Amino acid sequence: MTFTTSLRESQGRLAHVLRGASGMQPVRRGQRAGPRSRPEPGPFQHGLPPSLICSISLSSVSVGAMKLNKRSVAHYALSDSPADHTGFLRIWGGPGTPTTPSGTGRRCWFVLKGNLLFSFESPEGRAPLSLVVLEGCTVELAEAPIPEEFAFTIRFDAPGVRPHLLAADGQAAQEAWVKALSRASFGYMRLVVRELEGQLQEARQSLASHRCATRKAIASRCKPQAPNHLSPSPENGHFLPSNCSSMGSTEEGGSRPAGRDLAEWEWQGPASFLLSKGQSPVSPETSCFSTLHDWYGQEIVELRRGWQQRALGGQPECEP
Amino acid sequence: MRYNEKELRALSRQPAELAAELGMRGPKKGSVAKRRLVKLVVNFLFYFRTDEAEPLGALLLERCRVAQEEPGGFSISFVEDPERKYHFECCSQEQCEQWTEALRRASYEYMRRSLIFYRNEIQKMTGKDPLEQFGISEETRFQLSSLPRDGQSARVSSRLDELD
Repeated sequence: MTFTTSLRESQGRLAHVLRGASGMQPVRRGQRAGPRSRPEPGPFQHGLPPSLICSISLSSVSVGAMKLNKRSVAHYALSDSPADHTGFLRIWGGPGTPTTPSGTGRRCWFVLKGNLLFSFESPEGRAPLSLVVLEGCTVELAEAPIPEEFAFTIRFDAPGVRPHLLAADGQAAQEAWVKALSRASFGYMRLVVRELEGQLQEARQSLASHRCATRKAIASRCKPQAPNHLSPSPENGHFLPSNCSSMGSTEEGGSRPAGRDLAEWEWQGPASFLLSKGQSPVSPETSCFSTLHDWYGQEIVELRRGWQQRALGGQPECEP
Repeated sequence: MRYNEKELRALSRQPAELAAELGMRGPKKGSVAKRRLVKLVVNFLFYFRTDEAEPLGALLLERCRVAQEEPGGFSISFVEDPERKYHFECCSQEQCEQWTEALRRASYEYMRRSLIFYRNEIQKMTGKDPLEQFGISEETRFQLSSLPRDGQSARVSSRLDELD
């Protein structure tokens, strides 16, 4: 094998060769994980020539500890961003605990935020004791031969990783934790977001095409006529037009959520104004109301533009 | 704070949202830019020496600020210490924009906000709660009220110094 003169290339080839030769990991600067004491800084930091590095690395190969922005991680754990689940759990295999479920394990306060499970000494803990990143894992109720009550495991696909064993205080807590942890992965969240993104797209598209049809229908019906008698009934907040083709008001399964009624009432003002000008509204069922909302919205934007232009040089307009 | 390093290493081997060789400079004073293989997987940014399979380190991307830095680079800093920046050098403005876009969206908190937004929009338009079909409409993390308010950063950062 030959080494090129450039140091960087040498290092690259060296690492490549080492890996190829015996499957060993190349020497890394930094700390080693595990019970060994902190090593001295690695050879690269001293600027040693590649040949010397070669002989050192063959005898002292290990994978260094991975760095993590722990300060920021801990800050996130302590911040007021919402926790998805919290509670006391007993844990085995943490610091100062036996690895097998002998005894009651160590009781810690756990906080689940997104795909991160933090443990604290107590709810008032000022720094997290540990972090479990919940990606690529399966959460299951613990079965025999584990004698612990209300226990569950977090099992990772990663090779050589022992499952985490935890136990809740009761069955309800156990089930709640298993449910929360199973849905904690980024992947799950991303799935839900994408699904909703798609649904919103669909809703907007059907709205747009509906509006097209509606506008055509309204345009064809728009002739001078007596102002419509508006009677928004308090029960369902519908506008009840007198002379447009009735679409009926569809009963949805269950009652209308209160928030929607409020939104419809808010539209009373501008809608009445426009309606008094002789525009004939379409009787809103669910999707039609949205059409109306959008349609009036556009009209208002145009009206506002007109008002602002007229107001130039006059009193400043107050935005509604 | 202990963390499950083995599992995090395994995560670094998963398919990435984005991966590229970039110049990277740590936040410490006097640190030098080095070529690193940078890989975005879920809400973690892993960085490797360009010829190694094991990551040198990872950055959790929650509550981070991604800013474009002239010329052709960007920086990542965190809410509790905005002056402490990780700098990255891209080979083009296009690459820079691609990364800043992706990194801004790469947090669980961002997804939570998006989900709440979509849920509300769909509810307004159709009158139906789209989360009902998933059976997750009651979960705390999906409620409007659960959106965080910034402000605790200063109080919290003073506790963090004896960490590790």
